[in-house]
Amino acid sequence: MKLPTLRQGRRFWWDTLEAYVYLLPTLAVLGLFTFYPFVNAFLYSVYDIRTRTVAGPVVHATTDSTTWATTLARGRIPEELADALLKRGVARDDLWVRLRQADRWVVKDEASGQEYIIVREGEDLRVHQATTGWAMESVGWDNFARVFRDPDFAKALLNTTIYVAVSVPTTLLLALLLATLLNRAVRGKALFRLASFLPYITPIVAITMVWAWIYDRNYGLLNYFLGTVAGWFGAEFNLINWLNDPRWTKPALIIMSVWRFMGYQALILLAGMQGIDREYYEAARVDGAGPLAVWRKITVPMVTPQMFFLLIISLIGSFKIFEEVLILLQGPGPQKSALTVVYYVFTKAFDSGHYGLASAASVILFAVIFVLSLFQLTVVQKRVHYER
Amino acid sequence: MQRYRVRADVYLLRRGAGLLVVYALLLVVAVIMAMPLLWMLSTSLKDLVQALRVPTPANWVPNPAFWDNFPTAWNAAPFAIYFWNSFFLAVTTTVGDVITSIPAAYVLAKMKFLGRGFLLGLLLGTLMIPGQMLLVPSFILINRLGWYNTYWALIIPWTAGVFGIFLLRQFFKTIPDELWDSARIDGCHRLRYIFQIAVPLVRPGIATVALFKFVGSWNAFLWVIIMTDKVGLRTVPVGLRFFMMDIGTDYPRLMAAATMAIVPVLILFVFAQRQFIQGIARTGIK
Repeated sequence: MKLPTLRQGRRFWWDTLEAYVYLLPTLAVLGLFTFYPFVNAFLYSVYDIRTRTVAGPVVHATTDSTTWATTLARGRIPEELADALLKRGVARDDLWVRLRQADRWVVKDEASGQEYIIVREGEDLRVHQATTGWAMESVGWDNFARVFRDPDFAKALLNTTIYVAVSVPTTLLLALLLATLLNRAVRGKALFRLASFLPYITPIVAITMVWAWIYDRNYGLLNYFLGTVAGWFGAEFNLINWLNDPRWTKPALIIMSVWRFMGYQALILLAGMQGIDREYYEAARVDGAGPLAVWRKITVPMVTPQMFFLLIISLIGSFKIFEEVLILLQGPGPQKSALTVVYYVFTKAFDSGHYGLASAASVILFAVIFVLSLFQLTVVQKRVHYER
Repeated sequence: MQRYRVRADVYLLRRGAGLLVVYALLLVVAVIMAMPLLWMLSTSLKDLVQALRVPTPANWVPNPAFWDNFPTAWNAAPFAIYFWNSFFLAVTTTVGDVITSIPAAYVLAKMKFLGRGFLLGLLLGTLMIPGQMLLVPSFILINRLGWYNTYWALIIPWTAGVFGIFLLRQFFKTIPDELWDSARIDGCHRLRYIFQIAVPLVRPGIATVALFKFVGSWNAFLWVIIMTDKVGLRTVPVGLRFFMMDIGTDYPRLMAAATMAIVPVLILFVFAQRQFIQGIARTGIK
């Protein structure tokens, strides 16, 4: 970088001052809510961070510990607890399971903010009033060691990798074909834009709910459709249990993701194709090149910048898959077949309260994405054709 | 001569047939793309008995249409609060983002100052950070600020964004420098020049940024479930999830709720299609 000298003149330095005044709001917000947490993500990964909930006076005790444990594990409030707290003026609807661990649960009253901790004592479970504070303790590389030893994390990493490795290239390839078709079409582009853009902008939670219905084993649209197609060919079709069969949860996520992003990517590629200079095509026609050769030697190379952009964006985006899993499968899926890295981070932090451990897992995720991005920026980008 | 005419005819015929194939394929894709949303709409207008019939083409159109799902879904959860929250947050974060992005984008497009190249690199670099990596540190930060369960937590962190800055920067770059020179000679302050002269010239860019931000904010989910646990702060997507947990697999009602969540985005898109497409076309260009 070329550093300016004092000889740049007064105007330059005044401009610098003025520029930073205008940049201040942006830099303040990004600094506090992007850069600072980014640095902290690394820092926290070598700490054991927990919210320490200190138990106060006992409010209630129960002998029915089995029912309580199963109910609380599902994130629901046991009837008996609701009744006991109702007597203390706590409305049932305000109660919420904030923390779920093997033998320890924290229930929060949303209205007053008061927390209650439920702990095992012998055969019984006791409900205490509780207060919560943060506790940080340096543990070195322990978090990383624990994450790497956790079979769940290995599974999450594998699941996520499979999902990314299949959905990213499939979406891009289909988008390329779609853009080629669109580039050929003269009319009807506006309507098609609408159809291909909608999946991308509709709220992901709403759209995933729709897919949960489409994937329904007995009444779902997809099984009906596949059954019909199989019928045309006289093939036998066994109803696929998309959301409850561990073999089919990942394909379900992949199909949905291809559907969501294919149109959007095709529109970006189409914009690239429409920017290609006509002269190239005319030159190729003069040389007697067939349509396929023209496509392979001109159209595709000329949209490689767009393809490269989409590859990076969708790779980063796909590694972050979380909402889809949460809504579609209401959990990590049968046999954790759809447990993803972000899902792992989410449950470790916000269900069981191991914030340091979760930080370590997210640092690993970042490292994976970073290395892949670096690989693309150095190796893959060499094959990208930029017009000078 | 005769031979050439025949070849021209064959060429036209092949071209016509080719186009026919293109349109046929496009139609198939369009139908597949639109199907889930049409299916959602169809199911939302059925009662449970109708919904659980085999989805043959004849059963696609609800007969008779059953409108009750919409009011019952609306009344089964505090959707009015959810919609208000989503709307309020979308408007405030969009306004905040646009206001902070305009001067930042202008400065990065038009002014020469110390650290400009470094800042551009830094901002571009943030696009590489997966937001999910920041969840835990952000959660702790929001708690330390005392913003847990407040609107602040849902608004302030989203009042600046790199996407808007880079998109607007491209637009500002197209304004000739002479405009600023003559404005300055007339004694116009830079800030006034930016907001009164430059901004009207890049209005399409601002519309695009605002639209994407609005939709992104409307769809916000993960951040909201982490930073709040109050019913009163739920956005539409968060409310939908809790609604789904409550009523399970009553699909007609779920689809009615999903339709309600999608309709605002749909209306926005229909009215501002051009801005959306422009945003898309520009993001791909290096």
